[in-house]
Amino acid sequence: MARFLLRRLLSALPTLLVIATLAFALLHLTPGGPFDSDRTLVAQIQRAIEARYHLDEPVWRQYLRYLNDLAHGDLGPSFTYRDTSVNQIIAQGLPIDLAIGGCAIGFALLVGGAIGLGAASRPGSLRDRLPMTLAMIGISVPSFVIAPLLILIFAMRLHWLPSGDWVGGSWRHLLLPSLALALPYTAFIARIVRASALDVMGNAHIRTARAKGLGDTAVLLRHALRPTLMPLVSYLGPALASVLTGSIVIEQVFGLPGVGRFFIGGALNRDYTLVMGLTLLYGALIIVGNFVVDLCYAWLDPRVRLNR
Amino acid sequence: MSAPVAVAERRPRRELWRRLCARRSTRAALLTLGLIVLAAVLVPWLSPYDYSSPSWTHIFTAPTWAGGQVFGTDALGRDLLVRVMWGCRISLLVGLVASVVSVVIGVLWGATAGYLGGRTDALLMRSVDVLYSVPFIPLVIVLNVLFGRHLVLVFIGIGAVSWLDIARIVRGQTLAICSREYVDAARALGVRTPAMICRHVVPNIMGIVIVYATLTVPAVILFEALLSFLGLGVQAPLASLGSLVADGASEMQSNPYLLIIPSILLALIVLCLNHLGDALRDALDPHEP
Amino acid sequence: MALALPALFAMFLSACELHNNGGSIASLRVGAQLAAQQELVRGVDAGAMRSLDPSISTDIPAERVLDDIFEGLTRLDQSGQPAPGLATHWETSSDGRTWTFHLREARWSNGEPIRAGDFVYAWRRTVDPHTASDYGQALSAVSNAIDVNEGRAAPDTLGIEAPDEHTVVVHLNAPTPYLLSLMSKAYTYPQYRPEIEAFGNRWTDPGHIVGNGAFLLREHVIGGRVTLTRNPQYWDAASVRLQKVTYLPLDRAVQTDRFFAGDLAFTDSFSAEQTAWLRSRLGSQVVSAPYLGNFVLGVNVLHPPFAGNRELRLALTMALDRETLVRYVRQGLYQPAWTPTPPLPGYRAPVPEWASLAQAQRLARARHHYQLAGYSAQHPLEVELYYPTDTDNRRTYEAVAAMWRSNLGALVHTFNEEFRVQVNERHLKKLPLFHYAWIGDYPDPYTFLQLFRTGFGYNDGGYSNPAYDRLLERADVESDAATRLALLAEAETLLNDDAACIPIYYYASRHLIKAYVKGWTSNIQDRNLSQYMYILEHQVR
Repeated sequence: MARFLLRRLLSALPTLLVIATLAFALLHLTPGGPFDSDRTLVAQIQRAIEARYHLDEPVWRQYLRYLNDLAHGDLGPSFTYRDTSVNQIIAQGLPIDLAIGGCAIGFALLVGGAIGLGAASRPGSLRDRLPMTLAMIGISVPSFVIAPLLILIFAMRLHWLPSGDWVGGSWRHLLLPSLALALPYTAFIARIVRASALDVMGNAHIRTARAKGLGDTAVLLRHALRPTLMPLVSYLGPALASVLTGSIVIEQVFGLPGVGRFFIGGALNRDYTLVMGLTLLYGALIIVGNFVVDLCYAWLDPRVRLNR
Repeated sequence: MSAPVAVAERRPRRELWRRLCARRSTRAALLTLGLIVLAAVLVPWLSPYDYSSPSWTHIFTAPTWAGGQVFGTDALGRDLLVRVMWGCRISLLVGLVASVVSVVIGVLWGATAGYLGGRTDALLMRSVDVLYSVPFIPLVIVLNVLFGRHLVLVFIGIGAVSWLDIARIVRGQTLAICSREYVDAARALGVRTPAMICRHVVPNIMGIVIVYATLTVPAVILFEALLSFLGLGVQAPLASLGSLVADGASEMQSNPYLLIIPSILLALIVLCLNHLGDALRDALDPHEP
Repeated sequence: MALALPALFAMFLSACELHNNGGSIASLRVGAQLAAQQELVRGVDAGAMRSLDPSISTDIPAERVLDDIFEGLTRLDQSGQPAPGLATHWETSSDGRTWTFHLREARWSNGEPIRAGDFVYAWRRTVDPHTASDYGQALSAVSNAIDVNEGRAAPDTLGIEAPDEHTVVVHLNAPTPYLLSLMSKAYTYPQYRPEIEAFGNRWTDPGHIVGNGAFLLREHVIGGRVTLTRNPQYWDAASVRLQKVTYLPLDRAVQTDRFFAGDLAFTDSFSAEQTAWLRSRLGSQVVSAPYLGNFVLGVNVLHPPFAGNRELRLALTMALDRETLVRYVRQGLYQPAWTPTPPLPGYRAPVPEWASLAQAQRLARARHHYQLAGYSAQHPLEVELYYPTDTDNRRTYEAVAAMWRSNLGALVHTFNEEFRVQVNERHLKKLPLFHYAWIGDYPDPYTFLQLFRTGFGYNDGGYSNPAYDRLLERADVESDAATRLALLAEAETLLNDDAACIPIYYYASRHLIKAYVKGWTSNIQDRNLSQYMYILEHQVR
């Protein structure tokens, strides 16, 4: 196990290096510097700023400096928010995205899983067709359409829930954004679970279980659940990371102080360090997601060995 | 050489079409999509209105039969029907072009890796693994912010990020095909590698590729819509469905039709394409009766 | 002459305080009462609030917060005019170049007394090139400011001194009629040196920052909410009613939604396109007033097609139907503009003679000029118009391009570019037609007219006219206010004759304000200090 962990960790490093390099190159290739504004700066000040952020050095040295800081866990100072560092921004915003993302994924797993299993237990029935049609629609309606509609209905017309904002993560503020983020995932999960459950139900061991006279639900839960979860797990890895991107829209519509919106704001402001920091964070999340997926595989299917 | 293969191919294709159209919902999806494409082509061409000319006396007219402005007008009095149809054109075009780009890259990458095998295979597929961890969606957003809003760039950018899945699948299929006899035969006859890949490998994996392409198109359309929603899409006065939805979202209380109409069209297109992709996969699936 | 009257001001001041207090209570309608909970949530534009360091901050949301947690020599009164702040009174030397400010007894939020030296420290810090402030040149009126900022002189040579703990003396290069307005700008606020030296650029964290305004910074989520509470150490704390002020940075449309949902009581803007609908729903809660900013298209006079082609520039500016734009595209929110400077107290901007023509006649003239410039239906003008990404102005650009197409047959292609890219290209003078809107720093025509001065940093159109430059130079050193404004008006006439830019409209401030929020007055700088506001008792939803 320890060897497996170590190997995974080591193999993640080149990937992160590629991401850092890619992001660095892209940002430095683009026109417009971080301190261009409609107020042209005096040469002296321009130089002072550039010296403070080491922008006056040759690009290769900036690159090495960035990597060195990175190795020490320092993502650098933010160029836009001049009183803070990228580490601080992420520390402040990430918990919000994780809370919303976690709730959304949890909701999607529970509801989507239930719908999918329910549909698979009676394929072709109304219990199958109706939720699956809804799921198809759920996949096709983007969250930037759902989110404003939720606000319109629940905050502005019914006044049940706040229209956004973030007050220490109270459940009332968490509900609408999580729901808006969760709907497409729920639909996906329902479809995956259904397809996979149907597949599994055709297997020999299920037929045996049925032959033993077990009821549908019992078969489903006791024998079909584990193998059914396999494809779901491989979907969840990337999904965990994509929650961060999905939250760009959610944050904008609900006015939440997460990190997603800094992707755009950071790029607009040529905030090199902020964009690179977030890109790396996102890459790291994907890697972690895939790692968790592998662990889950091993747990779900004893035939899979970790140190393969 | 390839004649017998081609004959064998043709019959399954007709069979495929029969299976595809057997279901009512699939026929409905095909019909809806066809109608939308037809409208997107014809309406801007036939309509007396154009997508860019303001009409001061018609600002924010709710949908009405009068004057044929059945979808109403926007903040500058422009006919929403024409604008939405232009939006459909853009969205469909983005979807198609980006999917073609991703299919071409994915197929060539995967086929090369699968066909050549060995070190090349390891290198190509290892790079795919690494690229899987690169956060492409944010990167495309960053790219779009940085390098202007040219439509072509949007196409290419989106296409360039969505080929990874296809590459993996194609490689698997290619490995299977390469073990067949006719490939050995062709190789024995001295057919060179690029020709082998293009003439013998690629045509035989087209089925699975088409399925994936069908599922890529709606994903790309949604992604373009997301970019447009964030203000990173096409240049005004042109609009895509995404930017129309974004405009509508800011008017959702005062003029809800501006949000609802483009949203419905966007959802319809994506829905039909998703359904067709599913249906194609089912039809290709040998397990199905 | 700005020779202020110290004694009179001192007398006036106590009355002033009473007036604020008494005014609030007296203006309550019969039956209306102060709400028990004096808390206000204000919306500000998203994507800003980049720094709360008074020397560095440049954006409007941060300015709102800084106005609440700091105070300068002057503070803005309810109507947005500079009034005595930390300085109780001041006097000006006879040549108008030396101002002496007398400070009141006041304390920092940590209880330390505020000294004249705190101003000296702050101003030197703003101008010091090592601080790298965007506003390093905003104090250019102060002697040696430019030299210090450009590294030719040490910061302690800046023209500000503190002869004793309660006196600030400012030395100017020339009489500066708008100096008092500068004194209520963040970059002239006093700063508490020990904290800045102890914590570096982290000194603005809520845990460290020491302020002197009516409120204290309690919470600052980067890019998110900012919470302020009442500052008991503030010298005028007795007349501050609000206990808590929250600023939420939100997109314009989101602010409107939140206002409807009842989560915001005071928004910073709303979509101009929704004006009519909002008025029909919210009535007098929709508040709009002239604002110190213009919406102008820049014209590049260095390159074709506009170089040396005054006829073409005239044709374009005349061919725009500003009334229609304002009425339909901006729903009557803004005022049409014929000249760069918006209406200012005491200044009547010269309007070109063709402005008073009927639209049809104006159009005929425009077409005539278009032909003289060498263009026709067969040989139309084809040019690119660049504007930064901002949904609010997009409609205007679309409409302007459509007008030029229908009125002249000119093919104007609009390009929406990302702000940084655009600004960069503008400064390189690469763009033929571009977004050139300007928000004035102080209510004086010079803030707008400087843009067309030869060699000025933001003169992105490359306009250069020796006669114009001479008029501005004369205005610089003119100590009589009326003569100075006359010189500026003469200069502005030259701009209009040359069609050096294409003015379209003057901005307006726009807020949605709940009926129960009182104590604000619309003003041209669009700055409303929370310290004057209060909440009436109202029904909570």
